[in-house]
Amino acid sequence: MDNNLTSKLKYREAKLGYLMILPLLTVVLVFIILPVLGTFWISLHRDVTFIPEKPFVGLKNYLRVLSAREFWYSTFVTVSFSFVSVSLETILGLSFALILNERLKGRGVLRAIVLIPWAVPTIISARTWELMYNYSYGLFNWILSILGVSPVNWLGTPISAFFAIVIADVWKTTPFMTLLLLAGLQAIPQDLYEAALIDGASMFERFKSITLPLLKPVLIVALILRTIDALRVFDIIYVLTGGGPGGATTSISLLAFNYYNLGDYGIGSAISILTFVLVLSFTIVYLKVGRFREGLK
Amino acid sequence: MREEVLKRILLTIGAILMAIICLFPFIWMIVVSFAKDPTFLGSPLVEYKSTLENYVRVLSDPTLHFPAYLKNSIIIASLVTLTTVSISSLAAYAVSRIEFKGRLLIPIFVLGLSMFPQISLVGYLFKFIEKLGWVNTYQALYFPYVAWTLPLSLWILLSYFSQLPKDLDEAAMIDGASRIKTLTTIILPLSAPALFSTALLVFIAAFNEFMFALLFTTDHRARTVPVGIALFQGVHGEIPWGSVMAASVISTIPLVIMALLFQKYIVSGLTAGALKGE
Repeated sequence: MDNNLTSKLKYREAKLGYLMILPLLTVVLVFIILPVLGTFWISLHRDVTFIPEKPFVGLKNYLRVLSAREFWYSTFVTVSFSFVSVSLETILGLSFALILNERLKGRGVLRAIVLIPWAVPTIISARTWELMYNYSYGLFNWILSILGVSPVNWLGTPISAFFAIVIADVWKTTPFMTLLLLAGLQAIPQDLYEAALIDGASMFERFKSITLPLLKPVLIVALILRTIDALRVFDIIYVLTGGGPGGATTSISLLAFNYYNLGDYGIGSAISILTFVLVLSFTIVYLKVGRFREGLK
Repeated sequence: MREEVLKRILLTIGAILMAIICLFPFIWMIVVSFAKDPTFLGSPLVEYKSTLENYVRVLSDPTLHFPAYLKNSIIIASLVTLTTVSISSLAAYAVSRIEFKGRLLIPIFVLGLSMFPQISLVGYLFKFIEKLGWVNTYQALYFPYVAWTLPLSLWILLSYFSQLPKDLDEAAMIDGASRIKTLTTIILPLSAPALFSTALLVFIAAFNEFMFALLFTTDHRARTVPVGIALFQGVHGEIPWGSVMAASVISTIPLVIMALLFQKYIVSGLTAGALKGE
């Protein structure tokens, strides 16, 4: 009898549990899972707006995309953008975090200032950089003119446009990196440094043998979160160059977007799914690294 | 001792550089927003004259639609924040406190979802929104934004709820309170800081979203701030930089003030969301 009552109560509890996660699951199923599956389904069809027939073509769209140079070029742009951007963010973010971790006059103000780029919406920061890169009345060419250097067409040549995008992105995303690394730094016990100081270790030695190894787990998480995010880059490129000049800075997300704009949903969807595959491969590396760390513990 | 001095000097230089790097684009935005002629750096003949004209224009010129963008963004972001925080509080409570099969899979499943690139949804989502007749409506952005902000929100709240002792609930339930009552009268008030930082992060994410907003709105009256500012154009196709920067300042200042005032909450939310999820 008593047993029966507990199992009844347990059943009611479980039912309540499911009810409480139901809203979350519903929204996520309808507006994330269904769209991803739907996009995959579309990618298996020849699907062009204004042509009513949408015949099933299997993997043909993927074959077409994978044999096109523009796809590989965009993948190259996206991966190199992610690599350069995340590397610079890490170096800058680590420097910022090290500074903010010191007892320094005005540290509170500095911590506030470092958040500002994070708080500026990506589109708005991109537009501000676009103005600063302007050939005839931008801030950078004005500084060059004071230094007596001839102006640069920042967004007009493939290489300079690539780095212009990287710099604007690094500015926007460094705060996130800084905050994560600062949290990591603050978790390092202070007495380790004091002991090293007594042993006469120099500043650089202390950094190399205490800070870096103990910061590594947080650093890896931060690196991978940022890489996954950078591989999906869209907004900043859309505003700064629109993928130009001549398609030189078109990321994969932007390439897919361009096909949607042309009304070719089949090809656009295939590229979108391949973007997901690219991010997924990095995520798997992420999970592997995570497990590797658990093994160490 | 010499090392200590060297360190101080390096730190001071570093701190000054850091402040300059973080601030100059933001300051430049403000400088140009007050410029009578935004091309003042282009020619020695044009002088910098400050004016409020750009602000007056973006707020009153009906062809720029800026007040409508601002209104849409604020309404959508507020509704999304309210919904996301409610839905994820319920879910975080269930996962952290109620025994049911598969509950531990929920956070991992949701975390996995945040790996999807936005572009991998839009092929189908666009057709879906069109079929529902939602293009240019609030719900076209509202629902995708709620779904999109749920993972982060769930993770922050879950890591907070799990730290609260379970005795709290048990004591309340012995007194006859239901689960829902325990959640609303005990857990939520105790979690105010976590709820607040979640709400801030969700609001900012929804306010800033660009790709969905670009695709699901075609009418000026339905656009949000990021889309409006990205597509701002003068009558003759030139970019009205003064207006663009004034609109940028108006939209950014509240966010920056929020970030500065509630720095602590934002930092704890960002680091909890990221590092607890490792």
